[in-house]
Amino acid sequence: MKEEEVKTYDFPVLRVENLDLAYADYQVLKDVTFEVADGTCLVVMGGSGCGKSTLLKALIGLLPPRKGNVLIRSDDLWSSEFEKRAEILRRFGVLFQGGALWSSMTLLENVMLPLETHTDLPESEVGQVAEYKLSLVGLAGFEQFYPSQLSGGMKKRAGLARAMALDPDILFFDEPSAGLDPLTSRKLDDLINELKESLGITFVVVSHDLSSIYEIADDSIFLDSNTKSLLERGDPAWLAENSVHEHVRSFMNRDSSTDQI
Amino acid sequence: MSDKETPLKKQGESDGVWMTFRRDGDEGHCVIKGEWTVGGGAVRSASLEWSGILSSNLDLRAFRFSASEIESWDSSLIVFLDLCRRELADSGKGFDPAGLPAGILKLLGMCGSKRPKKIGSDFSLDAGIEFFETGLGRFRETILGLACFWAEWLSAFLLLFIGRSGMRLRDLIMACRTCGASALPIVTLISFLTGLTMAFVGSVQLEKFNAKIYIADLVSLAMVREMGALMVAIVMAGRTGAAFAAELGSMKLNEEIDSLRTFGISPMQFLVLPRTLGLLLMTPLLTLYADVVGILGGLTVGTQVMDFSVLHYYDQTQSALRGMWEVYSGLIKSLAFGLIIGLVGCYKGLGSGKDSASLGRAVTSSVVTSVTLIVVVDALFEITFSFLDLR
Repeated sequence: MKEEEVKTYDFPVLRVENLDLAYADYQVLKDVTFEVADGTCLVVMGGSGCGKSTLLKALIGLLPPRKGNVLIRSDDLWSSEFEKRAEILRRFGVLFQGGALWSSMTLLENVMLPLETHTDLPESEVGQVAEYKLSLVGLAGFEQFYPSQLSGGMKKRAGLARAMALDPDILFFDEPSAGLDPLTSRKLDDLINELKESLGITFVVVSHDLSSIYEIADDSIFLDSNTKSLLERGDPAWLAENSVHEHVRSFMNRDSSTDQI
Repeated sequence: MSDKETPLKKQGESDGVWMTFRRDGDEGHCVIKGEWTVGGGAVRSASLEWSGILSSNLDLRAFRFSASEIESWDSSLIVFLDLCRRELADSGKGFDPAGLPAGILKLLGMCGSKRPKKIGSDFSLDAGIEFFETGLGRFRETILGLACFWAEWLSAFLLLFIGRSGMRLRDLIMACRTCGASALPIVTLISFLTGLTMAFVGSVQLEKFNAKIYIADLVSLAMVREMGALMVAIVMAGRTGAAFAAELGSMKLNEEIDSLRTFGISPMQFLVLPRTLGLLLMTPLLTLYADVVGILGGLTVGTQVMDFSVLHYYDQTQSALRGMWEVYSGLIKSLAFGLIIGLVGCYKGLGSGKDSASLGRAVTSSVVTSVTLIVVVDALFEITFSFLDLR
């Protein structure tokens, strides 16, 4: 991408600087740098095995980077001490691919647990907040259900309610539309857009579902498994038409004729 | 086949079940024929035919394939043709599939695009050294992992005392209920039958010395010193330790552990500590209960089979257990067993991979490791007690 086209923000809620990621001796990504502005949705794209989920793990504190920084409101996630790190973790929520709800707890207890752990609210108030979060995602009335009693889409929505429990600045999503039918997937996209507009939450979404990407993304980065780096950044619609990389254009236009598998 | 028997055929030509082969200058022409189905075993028998053709026509430059006489085919034909292509490539000869139908050509093109390299199984010194180094590395990682897990558990345990632990009391109570109260029926059955069996076995020997009343001593001492703790530990390892490994392994599989971490909740404090403490508290209590039930098993044999009165048997048991150390030593052992089972179960569960096969391995491994460690630690306790003159 040309230098003059790179977006810069005054107050990035998330800034990733020169991130190198590896599993033992296997390098997954190198020198990844990008930032996300407040109240926007950044989509992390790329083919299978390009390191999208690995990058997400580093951003949410599950995989320490070999090099580089993950700054959330200028606080470095990986070099912070225990107390500070716990405080940084409270500023974001994560929705995992399968929802990752705690299966031994009801939906209400799932949403209550982060509140009980990180706030001093009395139990009745914690319950009320949790009920409100569940109603935000359209799950009012399902408070006493266990995750095993829910459909895939409902699990994701419950996961979203739990991720929003502590009113985070950023929400990280791992493949939100994976395993969902087109209609449920579309509803989840609408919910993301609604929450972004009404609550001003910043979203970082890992996805390779094009219809969902075009629907929710304000900005995107494209990871490449060959160069193991961030190949390009920009608005998805712009990338589909104007990317200097044929692989990116092929990906964005779902065109296999010009791309090697 | 000689030229004399079939005068029309040249040397090396053949007419088999799966193909007809003719020589054409420095090229060979294979005409595939018959019904090619996976279930019909076509690949194996055709491969034998092909090996014969190839070995008797080594002078040819290339082999041409056509399928004009074929009746039906499925993926077995593609597998066979791919095999021919690779064998010809290995021996530096040409493979010409131009005479095959378009559908076969397309499938052949797809299956031959990228083939993974064969992983060498031949022994070499370098491979042997690498294997040894990998094994050593894994062993080091396992020891390091165990040490880290133990240190993390200890620090979580200490945090509990200064009121900064993330463990919830309700989780501890739930763990106590699962490990303790729910295990009562199986512990009752096992310990009663253990006492009963010991009494039957012992009575046969003691009868020879006309010392049948000492059956009460034998059963009570064996139960409180050894069998009560050991039987409860084995039941707990198979029941609770395996459940811990399965539960935590399944949570890991579903990313539930990861989601706890992203909320800043320590899985060690939130999941491992209540389970291990529950087991640590419940195992001695269950052991005490098992001791009593085991003695009752002996009493049943003593009164119903050997015709002792209840009071007589009770007095004899009481005199055998005059020193309470016998009971305490069993309880000390059970504390260690409870800790071992809890830690091993949780460690194996958290250490399982993200697939169902490794979850199964984790559960099996937790039971085997726990039982092995229980027997080893039991022996170490007995040796120590013996050296300290506590027996």
